[in-house]
Amino acid sequence: MKFAVQDGNKTRPQRRAEQVILFIVANQMFAIAAESVQEIRSTDSLGGAAVELEQAELPKVRHTFERGHRTYFIVNAGMHFGLPVTRPTLVLVLRQLRAAVLVDRIERMAEIPAVFSLPRAFTGKERDWYRGLAYIDDQVIPVIRPNGFLAREEFQRLDRAMETAASHRELEGAVQA
Amino acid sequence: MIDVDNAGPNSFVLLQVGERRFALPAGNVAELAPPLRLHQFPHTSPLVAGVIVRRGHIVPVYDAGLVLESKVPSVHRFYLVARREFSDATELSAIPVNGECELATGEVQPCSSEKPSYISGKLTVGDETLDVLDFEKLVTYQGAGGSEPPAEEARR
Repeated sequence: MKFAVQDGNKTRPQRRAEQVILFIVANQMFAIAAESVQEIRSTDSLGGAAVELEQAELPKVRHTFERGHRTYFIVNAGMHFGLPVTRPTLVLVLRQLRAAVLVDRIERMAEIPAVFSLPRAFTGKERDWYRGLAYIDDQVIPVIRPNGFLAREEFQRLDRAMETAASHRELEGAVQA
Repeated sequence: MIDVDNAGPNSFVLLQVGERRFALPAGNVAELAPPLRLHQFPHTSPLVAGVIVRRGHIVPVYDAGLVLESKVPSVHRFYLVARREFSDATELSAIPVNGECELATGEVQPCSSEKPSYISGKLTVGDETLDVLDFEKLVTYQGAGGSEPPAEEARR
C-alpha cells in the first residue's frame, strides 16, 4: 500500500558546495570541512612532541602538544563520540582552535553540494557535535562542528589542569633542590 | 495509491509493529515507505534509531518498538512516515512497521486511564479493537516514571 506524499519538509540543505575531509573512527565515517583542518599528522610523527596530561575530568583528552607557544589539546574522537576503542593513527590539527583530533584514518577528500540541518528529532550532544548531515555516495555522513570537540568550559577545565600540573612540577622541583 | 490528503478526521492508518496492531490518525501520515537503508551515526538522543533518505529528505527514524515493546523484524521493515509539528516548522519522522497497513474509518472511543500517554483512545474495526497512537507522544515518550528509555551513551 502507498500513500500520497504531502511534502511536509524540512531538513532543508544549506546550498553551498564545500570541500570536506572524510575520516574514519571505529568504522564510522565523518566529514569535516577541509578549511577547518590546519594539518594532518601521523601519531608516530607527533609522538615526541606529545605530553601526557594528568587529569581525570575529561578522559577523551590525555595528551597535549606545543605549537607556536600555544598548547593544543588532543581529543580522542572515538571517546568523544562514545565509539568503541580503536588505535588511532592520525591527528587532525584544527585551525583556529587549540585542539587536535585523533582519528583512525582518512578516507578521502570530497566535495559536498550541501549540508542538511540535523533533524530536530536529534536533541542530544550531537547538536553540538555536528553542523548537519551530508549525503555522499548513498551514505548519510555527519558533518563535524569543529568547536564541538571541546566546549569553552572544557578548555577552561583543561587549562586549569595544566596550571595545576605545572605548579606541582615546580613544587616537586623545589623540594628536590 | 490511497490519498491520505483527503482522509477525514475519522480516518486511520492501521499499522503493525512487530506482533501488535495499532491505529494512527491518517492526517498525521505522509506515506508508507518501502524498506530503505537505515543510516546510523553516533548520537545520544533516546529512541532515535537513525535516518532514512526519502524523496530528497533526510528523515529521522524512531525505534517505536522500544516503547511499544514489540520489535519489527528487520527483514520486513517498512517505514511509516508521519509529520511532527514544531512551533515554526513541520518535520517528517518515521517509525518501522511490518508493512501491512490499511486505511480504515471509525469513531475513537476513550481508553482506560491506565494506558500510557501515547495511547489516545481505542478504535474498533470489525471485530478488532486497536489502540490509537498519538505520534507526538509516542516519539517523545519517556517512560512511566518520567525517566528516559534505556539508551547507550552514544547510539549508532
